[in-house]
Amino acid sequence: MSKMSKEMIHLLGNYGHIGFTFVAAIFIGMGGGILLDQKVFDDRTTPWFTFIGLAFGIAAGFKSLFDIIKQQNKEFNDKDKD
Amino acid sequence: MEHPILFISIILEKLGLPIPHGPVGHGLIEQLTAPYMTYTWFTMIFLVVVGKLTLGNLEMVPGKGQNFWEILIGGMDDFFVENMGRELTDKLFPMIATFALYIAVANLIGLIPGFMSPTSSINTTLALTIIVWITHHIIGIRANGLAYVKHFLGPMPVLIPLMLPIELISNFARLLSLSIRLFGNIMAKETLLGILFMLAGAYFAPLPIMVLGVLVSLVQAMVFVLLTVVYFTQSNEHAH
Repeated sequence: MSKMSKEMIHLLGNYGHIGFTFVAAIFIGMGGGILLDQKVFDDRTTPWFTFIGLAFGIAAGFKSLFDIIKQQNKEFNDKDKD
Repeated sequence: MEHPILFISIILEKLGLPIPHGPVGHGLIEQLTAPYMTYTWFTMIFLVVVGKLTLGNLEMVPGKGQNFWEILIGGMDDFFVENMGRELTDKLFPMIATFALYIAVANLIGLIPGFMSPTSSINTTLALTIIVWITHHIIGIRANGLAYVKHFLGPMPVLIPLMLPIELISNFARLLSLSIRLFGNIMAKETLLGILFMLAGAYFAPLPIMVLGVLVSLVQAMVFVLLTVVYFTQSNEHAH
């Protein structure tokens, strides 16, 4: 495999899943909140855990975004050292 | 989705087996003869038979078939070693290489009329992803012991109540994003091809999409493998 296409695959792998990971994190956070509200606390706490879950989900989305950028930076730095 | 013609389903129907009309049937046999199951087996048989035919007798001076496999396996080995080191590669090479070959072949047979991609069903991709997800936790626990928990606790003890849910959510998001991306890409390709065949198959309308389909199939297989390797590497190293 040539160097160019290897680089291309790396970039595709690292940046190609930003969108999906971001959305998945928000959905899981909010889904967990809704589950807590409706199943565990039987609608007594209704909007609150949903909002808290949503906030945590959005935070997790941004966190995974930063992780992806950090990972890519590390790979670039490793390459510079070689 | 309604597929035009699926050869294996037709053959099984002629043999008198029940073929589910929806994506998954109710009885056990109906679940076993669902198209994505039969085509998964077809892919497995294809890989085993081709491997047996081309690698039946290994030679010192490789022929055509052996040459192909040597380049493919050697290339994958180099790629894994570069990303996760010799030790981890030796342990996990059979699993990841099998995933790579299976996903690539499963994506590509969907381009042949009369076949479908098993990976265009969420069941297949979710199964693959769950295996990867559980394995990366096992690797983490075996490499770090109890200190693996530190991966989920963030940089400072004060921030644990904030970071623990965030880390857990972003870890579960891997499960979702890895499976849905593969499923979504391949399902989109299959659906688009099906619709174009139905609308203007006689005028070669699906041809450009098929060219793109080859690209998408290979790239998605590579991305799945690359992300698997990245997850394994991350859980193997010490927490920062």
